[in-house]
Amino acid sequence: MTESKLSIVDLTKRYAAGLDPAVDRLNMEVEEGHLVALLGPSGCGKTTTLRMVAGLMDPTAGSIVVDGKEITHTPVNKRGMGMVFQSYALFPHMNVEQNVAFGLQMRQTSKSEQKRRVAGALDMVQLGHLSKRQVKDLSGGQQQRIALARALVVEPTLLLLDEPLSNLDAKLRETMRTEIRSIQQRTRATTLFVTHDQDEALDMADRIAVMNGGLIEQFGSPTDVYERPRTRFVANFIGQANFLNARVLSETGSAAKGETHYRVSIDGLGQFGAVGAPGLTGSTHELVIRPHRLRVSLQPAGTETIAGVIERVNYTGDALSVAVKAGDRVLQSQMPTSSGDLPRTGDAAYLSWNEQDAYLLPTPVKEPAA
Amino acid sequence: MTVTQTEAPAARRAGAAEGELEKSTGRRNRRTYLALLIPGVLGLVVSFVFPLAYMVRMSFNKGAPDGVIEETFTLDTYIQPLTDPYYWRVTLDTFQMGVTVGLLCVLVSYPVALFLARSTSKYRGLLIAVAIAPLLTSAVVRTYGWMVILGTNGLVNSTLDGMGLIDTPLKLTNNMTGVTIGLVEIFMPYAILAMISGFGRLSPQLEEAAGSLGASKLQIFTRVTLPLSLPGILTAFLLVFVLSISTFITPRLLGGGSVQVLATEIYDQTTGLLNWPFAAALSVILLVLFGLIIAVYQRLTKKIGG
Amino acid sequence: MRVITKGKIALAAAATAAALVLTGCGGSAGSSSGGNSSATSGELNLIAYSGVWQDQYTAAVIEPFKAKYPDIKINYSSKRSSAEMLSALQGQKNNPATDVAIMDNSVSTTGNTQGLFDKIDPAAVPNLANVPEQFKNKGGFGPVVMLDAVGLLYDTATFPKAPESWDVLWDPAYAGKINVNAPPSLLGLSLTAITSKMEGEDYTKSIDKAVARLKEMAPGVQTFAPNPDEYQNVITGQTVLGLGQNARGQFYSDQSNKKMGVTFPKEGTVYQINTVNVVKDAPNKAAAQTFVDYALSAEAQTAFAKALFYAPSVTNADLPADVKDRVVPTDGSLNIVPLDVEFLSSARDKWTDTWKRQIITK
Repeated sequence: MTESKLSIVDLTKRYAAGLDPAVDRLNMEVEEGHLVALLGPSGCGKTTTLRMVAGLMDPTAGSIVVDGKEITHTPVNKRGMGMVFQSYALFPHMNVEQNVAFGLQMRQTSKSEQKRRVAGALDMVQLGHLSKRQVKDLSGGQQQRIALARALVVEPTLLLLDEPLSNLDAKLRETMRTEIRSIQQRTRATTLFVTHDQDEALDMADRIAVMNGGLIEQFGSPTDVYERPRTRFVANFIGQANFLNARVLSETGSAAKGETHYRVSIDGLGQFGAVGAPGLTGSTHELVIRPHRLRVSLQPAGTETIAGVIERVNYTGDALSVAVKAGDRVLQSQMPTSSGDLPRTGDAAYLSWNEQDAYLLPTPVKEPAA
Repeated sequence: MTVTQTEAPAARRAGAAEGELEKSTGRRNRRTYLALLIPGVLGLVVSFVFPLAYMVRMSFNKGAPDGVIEETFTLDTYIQPLTDPYYWRVTLDTFQMGVTVGLLCVLVSYPVALFLARSTSKYRGLLIAVAIAPLLTSAVVRTYGWMVILGTNGLVNSTLDGMGLIDTPLKLTNNMTGVTIGLVEIFMPYAILAMISGFGRLSPQLEEAAGSLGASKLQIFTRVTLPLSLPGILTAFLLVFVLSISTFITPRLLGGGSVQVLATEIYDQTTGLLNWPFAAALSVILLVLFGLIIAVYQRLTKKIGG
Repeated sequence: MRVITKGKIALAAAATAAALVLTGCGGSAGSSSGGNSSATSGELNLIAYSGVWQDQYTAAVIEPFKAKYPDIKINYSSKRSSAEMLSALQGQKNNPATDVAIMDNSVSTTGNTQGLFDKIDPAAVPNLANVPEQFKNKGGFGPVVMLDAVGLLYDTATFPKAPESWDVLWDPAYAGKINVNAPPSLLGLSLTAITSKMEGEDYTKSIDKAVARLKEMAPGVQTFAPNPDEYQNVITGQTVLGLGQNARGQFYSDQSNKKMGVTFPKEGTVYQINTVNVVKDAPNKAAAQTFVDYALSAEAQTAFAKALFYAPSVTNADLPADVKDRVVPTDGSLNIVPLDVEFLSSARDKWTDTWKRQIITK
């Protein structure tokens, strides 16, 4: 606990009495040097959390601790954080250099020191040649980099990024992702990053906090969150997923990372292998299978297959989405395309998966009263 | 860039055709615009250009006593005020009044405008309406109101007297003090409106950004809020300045005959002494004063980068 | 070099009006031409003072006139000063829309010289015979219809007894509590002449001494342009002394329950004389003559004297004693400072300038 760079304890924000809290007793530990993404749909409380950490908003309850020091009620200008706003919030009446130097001036850094550090920060974002430009003459991507340089030049205790990429076009967004990540890793700035884009979060973050309704649904590494979602919401929000209600019949052995192999029964489709947390036997759980882990073959292969009919095929060049109707369920599969024969609507299809790719959610499904 | 290379010729043809279509509709649109402009332009010519031209012409005539006008071409009407220290003083007083009223009005309106511009309250619209509601009452009525408040036995003097702070009533009306107080209040709604619309670049995020970079509330104000609201302040100042130096009612009513500015001078010459050419010349001088200040304003806004 | 009057301006204004009508902006055109009027029917366009004068004249003269001549419709165009009336008449010179003007003697004299007015036909205006020679115009133009004089207004609480001398305006005890209408107001022009006479100079030659004296008074003047008017300023206690006209002063004295009084100081005062004039080429000349005749009738003169305390200009108007005491005497018993009309017309601009530049302080 003491080694965390940032600890958030029971942080709560209620905008008005009687309303549901925007952030509800949120707890989080962030390690030094990590980039943590706050991921969730709009209204989930991720921006509110960031603004409370930044000091732009007063929490209703709870505390924020940075480097072992409680800063819950420290005014924004005394927190020493660097923030990049969604709109970049560059000062339109100052040129690039003046923008970047602003934080140093507030810290009364000497002129020569200012000059050196501003130049360093601008070089870091590769815009040293634009130092005298007016802000309004810069492209969106350039403004974004200046905003980053301005936040980093003060060597902030925390770097806070509020949807920094959402105003950029798709191509530029990918470039900036890589760049922000690499700058963050070079400076080892502990970073909180608000986004609603799961790809961004998966690509950039060391840890992802998936938020929903003011709560953290899951806090973990990108692979954790993707491969081992704790809730249906997480599975659904990050990537696509097929959900099948599965009754857990028996354990069939232990899997890696303390997980257990199970034999499960899916109503009307038969028995299959799956993996999940220990101790699930006897109850019904949702089985999560990612579409691209669901194999479609046109011939029957092996025993544990689901037979169905191809209902719809979507060709997007890189990938082929196939909807297969099996009984009264429709399952989504995704496969790479090849120039060979492609499945067509109406073909018989056989679905199968690797046991470790079928994950049982830890919380049992409430069985309807039989 | 790379797209054009792979673009099919058919598509390019379609594009060209589209362009032609655009051109022809553009021509039609332009004609519609011109047609729509006619009533406005006509109204402007009749109500502004013609009278202005007539006034300029009038200013070169010669005024004889008792309202007789000699139609001629003389510069006497201009030489007389420009060589007469009295009119220099009147012009200077006019200018000074405009600047003082403009500055004070901006000073008292700025906090109100800033509050209204930044308010996110659901009552913001209502508050703005309240702030500019005085416009619903005529300036004459409000000026009379100030006469009552500022008079020898008015609210201010009787209050101060009642509190034992003064022995003899302060002279707050029938002089420049009264005119200034009245004008500042009367023009506040204009200043507030001008500022709110001129605060376009101001955003709460910029102030938050400054705060997160370590700026105190005062530093945020001096380094971010104030510089960014300068265009609004400047517009409001210009508006109030122009309104002040052209207004006649308030200097006349609250000035008690002791406040001599160009507008009251023009009124006296027109209705009292019936010297229309001279009044016209003074009006032209007032217009030149407007022009000068607007030129300075444009220089300044360009500098600020509005 | 060509001399024009404001007729040209009227033409231009008419062009503007026509254009406004074309563009749909509207604007009231002049009154309908009354070519079919006779001495007892049709329309009559009167131009005269506004405010309380208009109210009282309407009640005392115009209404009885209408009762007597029900077929004549009167359109009253009110102006705040005679100068504004003159300006309006100059504008209409080529196409008069006014028939009768009641205005200050000095201004109507200017109108006479500018050819704005007609001579009065004694045959069409029989009551002219009752106007004594001194009140008739020597050139046969509009005669005097009423007389008044400049008075000193005073607050009756401060002055239980009316001040006897104009010197009270210089009394430091009342500094800051005086209102004086500066020229071009007739009140200010009159005070200039009175002061000049008090200083023993001939104001037709020089007013230097008067200016020096008035400069001493100026710092104590609360306002040189009292609002809403000189009488209300005294009545509301904003000031305790002021220049005003006797007639309105008497009227407002009654209205204010004698809170304000008006008096003629011993050094003398200046007449304010109104004439009634028929406009040259008046559209309704016959009706105009009927009206002028009625305005000079004993009935109308007496009624207006009772209503607003103007002295009659005819010999056969008998006033009740309490009214007679309060209108300005015309029998030579009052010390009058003569302000010659022709001289005034040349001095008005100069004196106005002198006041602005030298007397009025900031």
